[in-house]
Amino acid sequence: MRICFYPGCSYASTAGYKESTEAVCQKLGIELVVIPDWNCCGATVMFGENKLRATALAARHFALTQAMGFEEIVTGCNACYATLGKAARLLNEDAELFIKTKDVLQALGLTLDRIPKIRHLFEILTKAMPDAPSERYRSLSVGAYYGCQLTRPHQFLDKGGYPEILETFLERIGFAVTDHSARTQCCGASHAVIYKDECRNLSARIIREISDKGAQIITTICPLCQFNLDQAQTGDLTPRIPVTYFTQLAGLALGLSATSLGMNKLLVSAEKVISRP
Amino acid sequence: MNKASKPNPFTSISDIATINACIQCGTCSGSCPLSDQMDHAPRELFALIREGEYDMALKSNTPWFCVSCYACMVRCPKEIPVTDLMYAFKEIITRKRTAPKNQKMPDMYRAFSRIIKAKGRITESYVMALYGVKHPLDALKNIPLAVKMILRKRLEPKALSVSDPESFARLFELTEKSEDKA
Repeated sequence: MRICFYPGCSYASTAGYKESTEAVCQKLGIELVVIPDWNCCGATVMFGENKLRATALAARHFALTQAMGFEEIVTGCNACYATLGKAARLLNEDAELFIKTKDVLQALGLTLDRIPKIRHLFEILTKAMPDAPSERYRSLSVGAYYGCQLTRPHQFLDKGGYPEILETFLERIGFAVTDHSARTQCCGASHAVIYKDECRNLSARIIREISDKGAQIITTICPLCQFNLDQAQTGDLTPRIPVTYFTQLAGLALGLSATSLGMNKLLVSAEKVISRP
Repeated sequence: MNKASKPNPFTSISDIATINACIQCGTCSGSCPLSDQMDHAPRELFALIREGEYDMALKSNTPWFCVSCYACMVRCPKEIPVTDLMYAFKEIITRKRTAPKNQKMPDMYRAFSRIIKAKGRITESYVMALYGVKHPLDALKNIPLAVKMILRKRLEPKALSVSDPESFARLFELTEKSEDKA
């Protein structure tokens, strides 16, 4: 299977999201065709600056995808997923905005006639992963953390308030899951970078809740969620619990090594937990 | 000029009429992870605008503390697109330059936007350096973390970039004078 892949700006500098995505996709026979010359989606910034600009930034990829002959864009970042999805929705609903966006792209030498479907890497891997390729991690309790933007606001993938797709996925591929109430609580996102004190408790309460309920490891679906939960574990504020990507757990289940999945890049090491599940 | 006759600065927002349906239940403010930092959390901000307190609304820090988690928007019983409205408020506040002077997020957004315009892609350390010119303390606080990231080979030494940043920047110029609906 070949998929049109939008990596987004954080992808390469994450704690192994790139390594694990590539390793797992290779193992499953999925070819990631990266959109050549992709740009930043505008994240949570651009819609607050200029709506047409925000839409054009996202839609530049729609034109590039069209030129590649694909009907769908797949991304692994929840913020990119929400931003590209929002632009796609606006362009489908607002004919005037579509024409203005098309004109901007035309001036850049790009053609936009149709809006691709925006999909999350999680959807692709959910379909592609075999049932429990290994029983090795059957007793490893995982706290699933969805973050905000995967199931909100469009809720295409699952219920916004109490999603279960990640737990279903983890159990199916051979992990134990821990039920908890922090699955869609906000980690502070980009505010956590400059409002450290104000946002400290947001990550801390998520980590404490998941750890208190007995999970040994947390798994996330978004670069920024992983980063915030991982880096918040300093001092005495929280217990220390490794925060991984779902692709890393999928890779472990497929028998790939922790190093090949970039798990040496985590701030809180997962080594002990995964060697003695 | 009395309050009631002041022009409403938010009329260009396409969904602005939806706030007339607000029942002031406070589900938005109660769902917001950062409402404790806001001077007028969403419920109150909508009330201010309906009452014609436009100056207070334009100077409110509320949109700048919106993290875009969309919790308010999916929970609103009247289906008001609260998060989308916060984006539109930011656009208008930015155009009118009424953001509170001590607010850090507008500077962060400006740094972010400037890096996209210059390179097409975001390199976190470059955004932080640009933002740090105005807020050196915030930048310094991130140094211990930056060291850990370097040790794990996670800091990009070179800025990410599209292949032709100069022609890419035209996207910004072409949308510069956009007076579109927010």
